[in-house]
Amino acid sequence: MRPSPTPLRRAARQILSSSFTTIRAAAPAHRSLSSITTTSTGSDCTCGNGRTTARRPQIQSNQNPQQQQQQRSSYHSYDHPSPPASFTPVEESILSAAYLHVPAHGFTSSALVAGARDAGYLDISPTILPEGAFTLIRYHLVKQREGLAARAREVFGGEGHVGAYKLGGLSEGEIKGRVEALMWKASREQGGYWTVAGAIMAQPSYVPPSLKELALLSDEILFLAGDSSVDPSWYTKRVSLSTIYAAAELFMTNDHSPEFMDTRAFLNRRLREVNEVGGVFRNMREWVGFTATAGVNVLRSKGVRI
Amino acid sequence: MEAVVRRKAAAYVCRSCTRQFQRQLRRNYSNSAPRPDIYDVVCVGGGPAGLSLLTALRANPVTSHLRVALVEAQDLSKVKSWKLPPNKYSNRCSSLTPTSALFLDQIGAWEHLDQTRVQPYHEMQVWDGVTDARIEFDWAPGSAPVEGTTIAYMNENLNLTSGLLKRLEQLGGVSVFEGAKVENITFGEETEDLDLSQWPVVHISGGKQLTARLLVGADGANSPVRAFAGIDAKGWDYDRHGVVATLEMEGEGWGGEHTKIAYQRFLPTGPVAMLPMPGNIATLVWSTTPENASLLKRLPPKDFVAMVNAAFRLSTVDLAFMHTQGADQDDEYSWRLQHTPFNSRAVPQTVVGVQEGTVASFPLKMRHADTYIGERVALVGDAAHTIHPLAGQGLNQGQGDVQSLAKTIEFAVTHGQDIGSIMSLESYVSERYTANHVLLGVVDKLHKLYSAESGPLVPLRSLGLNAVNALGPLKSFFMKQAAGSGTKIF
Repeated sequence: MRPSPTPLRRAARQILSSSFTTIRAAAPAHRSLSSITTTSTGSDCTCGNGRTTARRPQIQSNQNPQQQQQQRSSYHSYDHPSPPASFTPVEESILSAAYLHVPAHGFTSSALVAGARDAGYLDISPTILPEGAFTLIRYHLVKQREGLAARAREVFGGEGHVGAYKLGGLSEGEIKGRVEALMWKASREQGGYWTVAGAIMAQPSYVPPSLKELALLSDEILFLAGDSSVDPSWYTKRVSLSTIYAAAELFMTNDHSPEFMDTRAFLNRRLREVNEVGGVFRNMREWVGFTATAGVNVLRSKGVRI
Repeated sequence: MEAVVRRKAAAYVCRSCTRQFQRQLRRNYSNSAPRPDIYDVVCVGGGPAGLSLLTALRANPVTSHLRVALVEAQDLSKVKSWKLPPNKYSNRCSSLTPTSALFLDQIGAWEHLDQTRVQPYHEMQVWDGVTDARIEFDWAPGSAPVEGTTIAYMNENLNLTSGLLKRLEQLGGVSVFEGAKVENITFGEETEDLDLSQWPVVHISGGKQLTARLLVGADGANSPVRAFAGIDAKGWDYDRHGVVATLEMEGEGWGGEHTKIAYQRFLPTGPVAMLPMPGNIATLVWSTTPENASLLKRLPPKDFVAMVNAAFRLSTVDLAFMHTQGADQDDEYSWRLQHTPFNSRAVPQTVVGVQEGTVASFPLKMRHADTYIGERVALVGDAAHTIHPLAGQGLNQGQGDVQSLAKTIEFAVTHGQDIGSIMSLESYVSERYTANHVLLGVVDKLHKLYSAESGPLVPLRSLGLNAVNALGPLKSFFMKQAAGSGTKIF
C-alpha cells in the first residue's frame, strides 16, 4: 500500500491516469476491439482510480465501436462519468410532450399544461417544474445541445463524433470551417421560437442559467469542431462564440430570407471579424515578444551582461 | 625531425600557436591515433556571404596565412563556369549597394563579375497603390554625392558567386570541399596532447572531419551551424510569397541607357517591384499572397505579362478582380486599361514578354538570430537574419556582416588573439547586430504599413510620403541611406 498521498500528488496522479485514459479512449478509432480491452484493463489496474474504472463497462462491453462512440459523444470528457441526466423521468415525459405544443402555444405555461395532459398527468402537474415556462426553454436548449453531436455526424460524415483525440490532424483552418458549419446547424435548429424565448430568458432571474446553457453550447460546438487548445484562448474562444451565437439568433428573428441566407451571411461576417481580431492579437503578442527579446539581444551585443 | 614538424605545423596553424602545437605534435608521432585536421576558419556554405568572407580573408595579407576551408553542398565548378547568352538572364537577382560594391572591389572580386550583366540604376519611383501618393528618388541638381549617382547595382546572384569563385581561384589556398553535405557537427575530443573538447568538428559526407578554430555559418536560413551553436532565431512568416521573373520590356526605359529607373508600387497584398537589367530586360519581384502567387505561376506568358502590366497601372480593386479570373487576363487588361487614367512616363515601360521558365516564387519571412557568435562560432548572412525583400537589402546586410567579421578576424590576428574566442568575436556582433535589427524592423514596419487597404493609416502614410518627397534634404538623406553612402546612424 502506498502512503496516503498529498493533495498535490493525488492531483498529479489523476492527471497522469487521465492522460492514459484519453489514449485508451482514442483507440477504438484505430485499433480492433480486442486490443482496446487489453489496454484498458492494463491501465486501470495501474491507476486504480475510481473515476476511470467508472468507464470500464462501456469500454469492455462487447458493443461494436459505432455504438460506443454514440454513447460517449453525449459528454465529451473521456475521463469522467457521464453527467447526470438533466431532467428526471417525470419532467422528461411532461416536457417532451409539451415541446410538441410549442409551435402552437410558444414557450408558455399553456404548452406545459397541454403537454402534461398528453403525457397522462393532471393539469396541475407542471408545478413540479419550479421555473415554469423557462424549464421548457431550458429543455429545448439542452436537447438541441445534446443532439448536436448526432447532427455533427450528419454534417461531417462518419467522423462527426470526433473528440479531442483525433484532432491532432486538423489544421486551424479546418477547425474554423467546422465551427462555422456547427454554429449554423445549431442556430438553424433553434430558429423560429426565439422571439418569445428570448424575452423570457432575458428576465433577470433566468439570466444566469441561460448564460450557462449558452456557455455549454459554445463548449459543445468547439469540442465537436475539434478544437483541443488548452491555453488562455480556451476562454476567449468560448466567450466570442457565445456572443456571436446570441447575435446570430437575434438576427434570425427578423430574417425573412429563404433558408435564412442572410443569417448565415451574418454569422460568417462575425466569425471572420473574430478571426481578424484574433490575428491582430496574435501578431501583437508575437511582435511584443520579438521586440522584448530583441531589445535584450541588442544590449547583449553591446556587451551588457544580461 | 623537429624542423620538419615545425614546417608542417607552420603551414596550417597561425604563428601565435605554433609553438604550443609543436610540442603536442611531436608526441603525436609516437602513437598511431589519426591527427585531427585543424583549420583556422571553416566556412560552411558557399553562397555570396561565405565566398566573400573567404575572399576577404585570402585577399588581406594579414589573414592570408590562415588555413581556411570551404564546405559547400553544391557542385561549385558548375557555378564557376556559369554562362548564359547575353539576352537571357537568371531570375534570381539582387541589388548591391555602392558600399557592397566598394567592398567587393577592395577584395578584388568586382572585376571578376561579368560587367556587361551588371546594371546600375540611378533613380527610384515608389508609390502607394491605394492613394497614388508618390516619391521620386532622383538626384536634384547639386544634391548628388561625390561618389556618384548610382543608388544600387542590379546583378544576378550567380554572376556574383561565379565572380567570387574566380577571384578565390586566383588567390588560391582554400581547401574546398564541394558537393559535400554537412552530416554532423560535434565537439572534438580531449586527448593526452591536445584538448579539442571546445572545438567544433564538422563531419562531411565521405567521412572527412574538419576541426575548426573558428566555424563560420554562412549556410542559409536553416543553418546547421546555428543549430549546433544552440542559437535561436526568432521572427515570423509573412504569409506572402515573392514571385520573381525575368521580363522583356518594349524599350530601354524612360531614362534611356544611362539613367535607369527602378519602380516599386505598394499594393495591399505586398509591394511589386521592377528593377532594370541591361538592355530591354527587367527583373520582377512581386510579393503577394500564396494563392495569388500560385495563380501567377500557372498563367500562360501572355496573361502573366498582362497581370504584371496591370500591377503597375490598374487600381487595386481591378487587380484583385483579375486575380479571381481563371484565364484571359490579357483581354480583361486591355479593356480596363482604356478606362484607367495614368501617366505613362511615371510607370515602367510596357512589358512585352517574359523569359521562359523564369517565373518562380519563394516564401517570405523575417528571422533574426539571438546573437551572431558563440564560442568558436560566427554566423553571417541569411544564417543570422532573413529580411523581407522590399528594400533589396538582404544581400547587402550579408556583405556588411562579412566586412565586419573579416575586420574582426584581422584585428585578432594582428593582436595575437585566438580568432575563435568569444572575446575577439564580440566586436563583430556589437557592430552588426543593432544595425541589422533596425533595418529588419524598418522593412517589417513598411510591409505592415502598406498592407492596410483602408483606415486612418492610409491618408497618414500618403501624407508622410508626399512630405518626404517635398522635403529635398530629407529625401536625399534617405537616398544616401538606401545607397549605404550616408552617415552611419547606428
